[in-house]
Amino acid sequence: MTRRAFLALAGVFFVLPLVWMVLAPTRTADSLIGGPPLAFGSIANVASAWGNLMAYNDGELAGWIGNSVGYAAASVALTLLLSIPAGYALAKHDFAGRRAVLTLTLIGMILPQTALVLPLYLEMTAAGLTGTPWSVILPLAFYPFGVYLAYLHFASALPGAILDAGRVDGAGELRLFLTIGLPLARPAIGLIAFFGFVNVWTNFFLPFVMLDDDRTFTLQLGLMSLLQSTGAVNASSGFSSLNIHQPEAALAGLVACAPTLAAFLVAQRALRTGMLAGAEKG
Amino acid sequence: MRKSRRDQAGRLAVWVLVGPYVVFLVAFGLAPAAFGLWTSLGSWGEVFGDYRLGAAVRNVALYLVLWLPVLVLLVLSLALTLHARPGRFAGVMRFVYYLPGAVTGSAAALLWLFMMSPDVSPFGPLLGALGIGSASQALQGDGLIGVLVVMGVAIHAGGWIVVLYGALTALPRDVLEAAAVDGATPWRITRHVKLPLVRRYVAFVLISSFASGTQVFVEPTVLETSARGQISPTWSVNQLAYFYATQEGDFGRAAALSLAMLAVGLVAALLVIYKTRFYRTDAV
Repeated sequence: MTRRAFLALAGVFFVLPLVWMVLAPTRTADSLIGGPPLAFGSIANVASAWGNLMAYNDGELAGWIGNSVGYAAASVALTLLLSIPAGYALAKHDFAGRRAVLTLTLIGMILPQTALVLPLYLEMTAAGLTGTPWSVILPLAFYPFGVYLAYLHFASALPGAILDAGRVDGAGELRLFLTIGLPLARPAIGLIAFFGFVNVWTNFFLPFVMLDDDRTFTLQLGLMSLLQSTGAVNASSGFSSLNIHQPEAALAGLVACAPTLAAFLVAQRALRTGMLAGAEKG
Repeated sequence: MRKSRRDQAGRLAVWVLVGPYVVFLVAFGLAPAAFGLWTSLGSWGEVFGDYRLGAAVRNVALYLVLWLPVLVLLVLSLALTLHARPGRFAGVMRFVYYLPGAVTGSAAALLWLFMMSPDVSPFGPLLGALGIGSASQALQGDGLIGVLVVMGVAIHAGGWIVVLYGALTALPRDVLEAAAVDGATPWRITRHVKLPLVRRYVAFVLISSFASGTQVFVEPTVLETSARGQISPTWSVNQLAYFYATQEGDFGRAAALSLAMLAVGLVAALLVIYKTRFYRTDAV
């Protein structure tokens, strides 16, 4: 019984903020402050909060959502194009430099990504790329954990004998990858896309450093400027002309988290495996 | 002759497959570090003489001293408790602990600012008992570290609980059963059998969390911009490096400081690979 109580108490700490975030947009600011913190208001309130959010800086939020989606899509697509062939080559071929590439990949996986952000910024400034979407998309497409997942997958799921049979039949190495390796890669593609997407979508430090025009912002960056005008911290600092209050901010936060929450729900089955280990950093 | 031409074609094919990734590895992994090293030449003395660095290191150290033990103890005790009595309830709870990991970065900062605001927070009575009257009061002085610790635990604990629980379920069944047959109490099995067997994982959690904790940037930055004037913009070491680069335009010092941070992360990464042997591949 005490065991259950301990687990349940911890559960309350973890889940209450999320429940609050889901419920808050259904309330009005006044009822949220005056009434009980956890109660359902009405769907109409959600619609009005959404309207207020969309009116913020002439619909800037929609642009941020579009940017986040665009950066994530481009970066994940590139990640897949890079990591599936690389993982295959590392798992099924011995070549000069293989050990070095594998070791650097492992280091890149474990090293907190934040550690490289400022050196990347200096490099991008020298290359004249800061401020462009590429300064976010390209560095995030370098995703060593994706290569590691592809490597593990091909090492365990693709017997060398199948490839040898293909070689005897005279197929070239690239052809073997396209006809045998690639069709077998589907589970790895799913996993890499999942972790890669979460990684890009939730990233804050890199776009924060690289982008300075708020029209190029991601949703994570936009949330910060929203936060300044909500008066969540200093009630007096909120611009009174803006209709951005607690319910609007909570709704924006919910929109920012919705894709990751959805991805987590879908990926629940993968939780059983230890595969998550490398995703836990930064 | 035929064979060697074939070998050559094979080698070329391998580099077609792995080459693009290697280009990215160099361009966005090795090159920035090397370029940073070049930029930093001559600036190291200035950085280590900066009075703000001492303050930032103290802040981060205090944060780590509070956050790491709370995180590791909570993760360990929850994973062991879940494992002691598996079932539907434990399965649901495991998922509940994992979910907050989806709320990170500025969304997490936003959410926890509200959680620290007594007039809207479901934790209102608790905040009242602690004497916190407003979010801005919660962030005052050492309160900031408290808020960061709570946020850090909520965001990171879930993923580690899943990892550790996975490690526990993978333990050999016969060892645990033998201990039970020998009359060991559940507590003794946990303390003397399970805990030593998952030591490697605990070390992994500890080192990785230490590495990411030293780099803390997002949360204090977001809290700082929403509570301007209350929190120093150079509160953490990474914030100071960012400040050098963007506010003072001094790339040399920014590079030196971020390379020092990179070295800390690198040492941690090598410890994970070679000491805990967490990633057992034939490469290492």
